[in-house]
Amino acid sequence: MNRYISYALVLLALLALSGCAEKLNLQPYQSVSEELALSSDGNVKTVLNGAYDALSDGDLFGGNILRNAELLGGDNEIAWVGTFNGPREIFNKALITTNGEVESAWTESYQTINVANNVIASLEVVVADDKSRVEGEALFIRSLLYFELVRYFAPQYDASTTGAAGVPLVLTPTRGVTDASKVTRATVEQVYTQVINDLTRAEGLLPEENDQYATKSAAAALLARVYLQKGDYASAASAASRVIESGLYELNADYADAFNLDENSGEDIFAIQLTEQDGVNNMNTFFSIPIYGGRDGDIEILTDHLALYDSADARLAFFYEGNGAIRSGKWNNQFGNVSVFRLAEMYLIRAEANQRLGTSTGATPLEDYNEVHTRAGLDAATAVTLEDILLERRLELAHEGFRIHDQKRLKEAVGGRPSTDNKLVFPIPQREINANPNLTQNAGY
Amino acid sequence: MKQHLLLVLLLVLGVGAFAQRTVSGTVTDGRSGEPLEGVTVLVKGTTSGEFTDSEGKFSFEVPADAASLLVSYLGFRTLEVPITGETLSIVLEEDVISMDEVIITGYGSQIKRELTGNIAKVSGEEIANMPVNSIEQAMQGRAAGVFIETGNGKPGSLTRIRIRGASSVGASNQPLYVIDGVPIVSDPQNDPGDASFNPLADFNFNDVESVEILKDASAAAIYGSRASNGVVLITTKRGSAGVTSFNVNLQGGVSDPTGSREFLNSQEFVDYYEQAAIGGGKYDYRLYPDDWTDEQEAIDFYLGTYWTRRMNRYAGHSDWETGETETDWQQEAFQRGGFRQADVNVSGGNQKTRFYLSGSYSKQQGIIIASDLERVSGRINLDHSVNDKLSFGLTMSLSRVMTNRADDDNQFSTPLQLVALAPITPTRDLDGVLYDRPTTTYYNGLIEAQDALKQLTTYRNLVNTYIQYNIVSGLSIKGELGLDLYTLNDEKYWGRRTLTGLANNGFASSRWSQSFNYNTKAYLNYSKTLSEAHSINAIAGIEFQETQVKATSISAQQFPVDDLKTIFSAATITAGSSTINPYNFLSYFARVNYGYKQRYLLTLSARSDGSSRFGANNRFGFFPAASVGWVLSEESFLDGLDALSFLKLRASYGRTGNAAIGNFEHLGLYGPISYNNQSGLAPTQIPNPDLQWEKSDQLDIGIDFGLFNDRITGELDYYNKNTFDLLLDVPVPSTTGFTTQLQNIGSMNNRGFEVLINSRNLAGDFSWNTSFNFARNINEVTNLGEQDIIDEGSSRYMNVVKVGEPIGVFYGAEYAGVDTETGDAIWYKNTEENGVVDRTVTSDYNEAQFVVLGTPNPDFIGGITNTFSYKGVELSFMFQGVYGNSIHNAAGGFMSCNACWFDNQTRDQLSAWKNVGDVTNVPEARIGWSNGDQSRSSRYLSDGSYLRLKNLSLAYDFPKSVVQRLHMSSLRIYANGVNLLTFTNYDGWDPEVTTDFLGGNINSGVDFYAAPQPRTITAGIKLGL
Repeated sequence: MNRYISYALVLLALLALSGCAEKLNLQPYQSVSEELALSSDGNVKTVLNGAYDALSDGDLFGGNILRNAELLGGDNEIAWVGTFNGPREIFNKALITTNGEVESAWTESYQTINVANNVIASLEVVVADDKSRVEGEALFIRSLLYFELVRYFAPQYDASTTGAAGVPLVLTPTRGVTDASKVTRATVEQVYTQVINDLTRAEGLLPEENDQYATKSAAAALLARVYLQKGDYASAASAASRVIESGLYELNADYADAFNLDENSGEDIFAIQLTEQDGVNNMNTFFSIPIYGGRDGDIEILTDHLALYDSADARLAFFYEGNGAIRSGKWNNQFGNVSVFRLAEMYLIRAEANQRLGTSTGATPLEDYNEVHTRAGLDAATAVTLEDILLERRLELAHEGFRIHDQKRLKEAVGGRPSTDNKLVFPIPQREINANPNLTQNAGY
Repeated sequence: MKQHLLLVLLLVLGVGAFAQRTVSGTVTDGRSGEPLEGVTVLVKGTTSGEFTDSEGKFSFEVPADAASLLVSYLGFRTLEVPITGETLSIVLEEDVISMDEVIITGYGSQIKRELTGNIAKVSGEEIANMPVNSIEQAMQGRAAGVFIETGNGKPGSLTRIRIRGASSVGASNQPLYVIDGVPIVSDPQNDPGDASFNPLADFNFNDVESVEILKDASAAAIYGSRASNGVVLITTKRGSAGVTSFNVNLQGGVSDPTGSREFLNSQEFVDYYEQAAIGGGKYDYRLYPDDWTDEQEAIDFYLGTYWTRRMNRYAGHSDWETGETETDWQQEAFQRGGFRQADVNVSGGNQKTRFYLSGSYSKQQGIIIASDLERVSGRINLDHSVNDKLSFGLTMSLSRVMTNRADDDNQFSTPLQLVALAPITPTRDLDGVLYDRPTTTYYNGLIEAQDALKQLTTYRNLVNTYIQYNIVSGLSIKGELGLDLYTLNDEKYWGRRTLTGLANNGFASSRWSQSFNYNTKAYLNYSKTLSEAHSINAIAGIEFQETQVKATSISAQQFPVDDLKTIFSAATITAGSSTINPYNFLSYFARVNYGYKQRYLLTLSARSDGSSRFGANNRFGFFPAASVGWVLSEESFLDGLDALSFLKLRASYGRTGNAAIGNFEHLGLYGPISYNNQSGLAPTQIPNPDLQWEKSDQLDIGIDFGLFNDRITGELDYYNKNTFDLLLDVPVPSTTGFTTQLQNIGSMNNRGFEVLINSRNLAGDFSWNTSFNFARNINEVTNLGEQDIIDEGSSRYMNVVKVGEPIGVFYGAEYAGVDTETGDAIWYKNTEENGVVDRTVTSDYNEAQFVVLGTPNPDFIGGITNTFSYKGVELSFMFQGVYGNSIHNAAGGFMSCNACWFDNQTRDQLSAWKNVGDVTNVPEARIGWSNGDQSRSSRYLSDGSYLRLKNLSLAYDFPKSVVQRLHMSSLRIYANGVNLLTFTNYDGWDPEVTTDFLGGNINSGVDFYAAPQPRTITAGIKLGL
């Protein structure tokens, strides 16, 4: 009988182990293969949503890319008082090449670009009706990031810097890591050209309306911003005009209604969507205070900034005192959307461009100026200068991620430094230089 | 079955029918001279015999041809006694270390004399009752070449074990744990966002019979693709036939931190920050003179903004100018810890059925506020011999660990970050409510301790059943089924005053993770002495393991009151998730041990492992090993050397692997995301179909020796382990959209030697035993493919992997102190041009070339245990130490940065530069300015060597006469101390440190508000009934 037990044992063992070899082919439960992800119309569209998600990362338009512009441009109008060294180094214009904020801005941008590139390369499986829209959205996302990258990691565009090193232009999806992955930096001119061409194409491809996703106007708004940064005022005015004249957007009656929104308002052309379930609003994290879900009130607004406002200005009343300092009221909703383009900016771009050129594309500079000015509860002006328009822009768009880019564009000194100071350009992250020796470091690092 | 029993019975009776004679005698303890009760006395080669009585006497009939008796007793060396007369006087010696000791090997055992591989053994007795909460901690310092570090003193912290150095960069460096034959799940299962919780904390190591650590390739290769980091075989106690023994053990005691740091007191804080404000103003004026009318204006501005205003704010209701408040925040982070334990075990049985049962309860109160760990466990081990041919049995344990956990070291809420708060800040306001920001500099961790609950509970059921059948003499087959069910539950609640619960009226999360691992194996064992000269032992088998980890989690907010902490009460569910993660191994293994005249020994082994973790192109790996031994002391040419009782040379070479990587790292993957309440996909991983295990080829040459009749025994080993095809997360240009890819690239070498010496210095009434181990390991990263360095580019942490250097070296700027003229921090440039290193200094940190500043890996590790005993009193103490490593205080840039910000500073910062000509290592204090606070700098690196009185125990065994009067079989009282003394130059809390939020292989030796180890003193009593 023992013998039978032993036979049974051997049989059982063999039975249990036969077929085990096939069990080695396991598939993951939480991920799918690349082939599957890009195999169908529906799947590619979910990847497109993945690109928006990547864009909404806290290091990008989840807030930090806007915050960094305020910190790097910060002088006597704001103060960084938080404990994190990364943002402090940005604020102090004392960046080191290993700064984590800088590194994240770079790596997360390219991660998002790769998602967009995957979508663009998979258009053949997208149904004909949606092909244009999908391509347009992906181009919009990619352009938005290349524009930010070139603004942060390369000198301000002007006649002397067009040939300067910009950022690498990667336009195809990554399928593997090869020597070809060790890309070099395109010139500033090449990056701007790519962005403008892509956006022009995207504007043509995108629909007028597209829920909370990128639209024709979003592409035009970005084009207007790019042209303005580049100093191509005629194109800027024309692009801004296309947004305004689309008739799809209007300024809210109250300035305060443009902020802390769970859903886009009438003046939002494009905004990062947040819900309680996902997304992060790092503008809230750093500009706000704990009772609104912020950190410790890491960024304080100083009186020098408040002094710029007329006492009757509704935008002045929007500041408040909390945790022992003055705070911006724009970022008090932890789960609020992060607006990327508001209509007010378009009026201001068009006003500035027209003023500089002496033109009246779409409207006179005074008309556009007053649209914004009177909404803030102020009396309409009867005449306007470039300085007026620039001040209006500075006040209207304060603490929304415009500061350093305007300073560079307008050649304003930043905390005693000339706007062309090397320390006002981000260093190429050290990890990137280590991984890719073909990249050159920026001057000053 | 009955027929067979009858047959056996007849056989026994039949034997009894032969001529018989009576043998009697007494068995005594060689040390005390006391008689030993319950000693097994058997006729060699049979199962007939009996136990000694309370006077140590035995008497029974033996066959006329019986030549010798086998006398065995737990804790004593088994003795073979020739039957020389009718009355025998037998003296048993305590089992210290013997060449005839049985060593557990993978899928079998071998006597030490015949072993050709390197296996370190720690007996259960050595570690029993150590007042620590996991078995690895109890083993620290007791095995040569086994580096054990618990980087954090919080209860349940993960312990790092490195056997013969780290052999991997990208995969795990932890050994494979096999408990009673089951490879257990030893990866932490808790929320990956939290510090790892030690999965071995649930194991009651008082149940351990022995721990064998397989170190060289010959010993470990039988475990194939999971053996590169060594294998830890844990064998639990089993019952033996004889008198039922019943043991009760109780102990309890207190714990305190092993060390503290010195911080500024109120007066110093106020004065220092005034100094820093002046320094800040001066510096601002120096940089931007145009912004100010004169220097004084800048100073006044800084004094106003950064001193008066801040001091007012931080002082709360109290007056900082009069020094009204003096809060020692460090003290607030600690509490008096403690340790309590109760153990009961029963064992016994007869020749047919043996059992071991145990139950245990232990509770450790953490030295950090709001932390503790409680363990309840039970075990049943059963063996049953149906007859000579068939036997089966099981080991089964069930345990629960419940722990309150303090947050990771990098959280504001972790208790030790309280040290950052200002000493002028009262803990509570006038209403008795804990202060929070803006009065406290940062979030007040005391609120977290009071209003948050973080309870982690684990349940583990570990089962192994076997059935063994002896087919013919020498040939047997064994089938085993092992089950390892590990369930972890993480319940958290943050009240509405806590950082996490502040904006949402309370926040809670609940997470369950369950890992189920089953393991089946069947193997043949053939063991035969072919003639006087040839002996052979062989095994061959097949094994399959399937593991699946399932986890669900949910989080929610908006609670009506803080007293309702479970998600049942939440108004809003914010997130939920469930995941499934499987992996499989299918393996074939074989081993042959061959001995010629017990003199020449040979072992060959091989395993073939297939795993779902590897790429399609490389699914199976082959891991062979060979070893030889030559017992010189058996040779006639050494006959004259009487002092040399044993001498063996051994050599082994073989290959092992490392498969401890993620489950699907070879695939190109897209993972789910959500945006705008819509789901989506995004790429997460680039494919690598060639991905495979790492390989380690290891050479080991060793000598085992015994001197003076084995009074001194020892092992000397040299090893050289080359690991190649490293599993590396290779940083790739992030312009690809990815930052890393797992590749088989590069190689690493570990070489070194180990010394183990056991000596019975004095025997007799007063005995003194010494066990000493010492190891030197040289780790060198030899190749990283195209890169020279893996540096994730953190500005705070500086461990890197660099070719030509040991893993994890500290790589940063070399601090040169302070410019005596300006008070600026300076660094050596260390830039190299044409082979010449520029040793000039710079005050621009960016100008300083990073260089290797030190290593977290010790040059030497060792331990020494001395045990003295005299008439029942036993004193044992064990020192353990590491030498030659450095520690990086990554929090230095906050706590020792000459007041770069308002974190309270360590007292050594008081020596900051003040006036031109001051010579000091601390730069000028300038509030709000960075002046030498860059963390990647040798400024924050110190020597990490230490020597520690790890364990001291004093015990008294009451004499037999007393014990018998109390109707007991034994009675022991004892006192136990852990971490009693630490000798070190490190001025942080504790030199045994690796901050708990930086897991992995590269970041080690990093201090970041890490909790020190507890220093524990307990007293206990152990009764044998």
